Amino acid sequence: MIAARGLSKRYGDLVAVNDVSFEIAKGEVVGFLGPNGAGKTTTMRMLTGFIPPTDGQAVVDGHDMFEDPLAARRSVGYLPESPPLYPEMDVEGYLAFVARLKDVPRRRVREQVARALERCGLADVRRRVIGALSKGYRQRVGLAQAIVHDPPVLILDEPTVGLDPTQIREIRGLIATLAAPKDGETQHTVILSTHILPEVEAICRRVMLIHRGRKVLDSPLGELTAGGRSLEQVFAQHTARDEHPAEA
Amino acid sequence: MRHLGTIAGRELKSLFVSPVAYVVLTLFAVLAGFFFLSSVLQFSEYIARLTQFQILDQLRELNLNDHVIAPFFGVMSVVLLFLVPGITMGLFAAEKANGTDELLMTSPLTIWEIVLGKFLAAAAFVAILVGLVALFPGILFAYGDPEIPKTLAGLLGLLLVGLSYGAIGAFASSVTRSQVIAFVLAFVLLLLLWMLSFLADLGATGGPLGGSSALTETLRYLSTADHFEEMVKGLVSTSDVAYFAALIATFLLLAKAAVESVRWR
Repeated sequence: MIAARGLSKRYGDLVAVNDVSFEIAKGEVVGFLGPNGAGKTTTMRMLTGFIPPTDGQAVVDGHDMFEDPLAARRSVGYLPESPPLYPEMDVEGYLAFVARLKDVPRRRVREQVARALERCGLADVRRRVIGALSKGYRQRVGLAQAIVHDPPVLILDEPTVGLDPTQIREIRGLIATLAAPKDGETQHTVILSTHILPEVEAICRRVMLIHRGRKVLDSPLGELTAGGRSLEQVFAQHTARDEHPAEA
Repeated sequence: MRHLGTIAGRELKSLFVSPVAYVVLTLFAVLAGFFFLSSVLQFSEYIARLTQFQILDQLRELNLNDHVIAPFFGVMSVVLLFLVPGITMGLFAAEKANGTDELLMTSPLTIWEIVLGKFLAAAAFVAILVGLVALFPGILFAYGDPEIPKTLAGLLGLLLVGLSYGAIGAFASSVTRSQVIAFVLAFVLLLLLWMLSFLADLGATGGPLGGSSALTETLRYLSTADHFEEMVKGLVSTSDVAYFAALIATFLLLAKAAVESVRWR
């Protein structure tokens, strides 16, 4: 569903992402881990087509992100690190705008927006202006815009950052339902980046660890913690030699 | 290009929920009223004086188009120079400040759709402003008989000036994430463009710098003011319309390149 082949991003001498490759199958929920500045956001931005890779290829749902960008982008729902919200719009109007941007057929916009509102628990605030919402609600609106066109692939950059524990639990619950849908719903493939380890244990079945722009670990969660080690120990082991932290 | 309406519609809605649209509209309406009134009053005073001294040949040459409408349109084109940057400053800068550029750039639409959609919104707003200006000569038609084609040519000129300013403002907004910088940059660019005809005057024969006619002609050709004045005189020529079309196209191309440049870094 998602394939990265030798993805690299260099800014002058700084190598932000260095030759990262992976394949993610349909329905997988992958936790993308790494210290701050490891290259998580840059990798996600290449997967979503926001920035082109210096080298390598990103393929989403069979479409190359840079050779067939429109089809590839249609298959992706993306929640950037800071949710891309227009503070002056109301929640419903904003989601309808995003739905039209993502090529949802005109007659289905209303229905899709209603679904996204309901799934993200936003029905009560649908007419509220986004700028007046709390941070937790704004994060939910960000998630709602990512799923409003029912894309097969979801790329979520730190979806729970800055939320309180209750909100974190809600968002995690929501992400879990996205990957394990009821009948008739799209099964989403999810990559989510985070540096919160319990988050990965709560929702992901596979873990990728990126450190200084390189993929240093890619394994099912079960195997990692099989020997009674905690994810924290694994994380520490692979990122231990971090003497010169890269810039974000 | 089916997203044009989506982009333009959102942009217009945002303008009208923020105070910017109302500030600009109010200021514009007040200034238009003031300048219209003052040119009508000047006109009637002029008539009174000419009548008093019985200067008949000049009295016969007086007409509403040249002595009320033309100066009024001229002043309003300068007012646009101040106000259009206020409309365009947020077009791209606000997207970058909000982080919503990341949404637009990862959605299945082309950069041209983003740029043209935004320009369309600015153009619609400029059209509203020019519509406001059109109301005032409308009053003259109730009391006098200005020439309709000449008036329309002037309005078309004003519209083209406004659209050019919109394109330049869009470009200014595309190179920064600060709306203040976008406003100032647009204003400076517009002022320079407007001042070109003064520079041309300096270089003209008999002017302080004298001589160099090629340079003078070039400066004069590049200045918006000169093309606009031709249209206010009622002369709609292909070359003037082409000038404005080229100006708009140039700055939209530049804006497109600036928006696209996030992908180059």
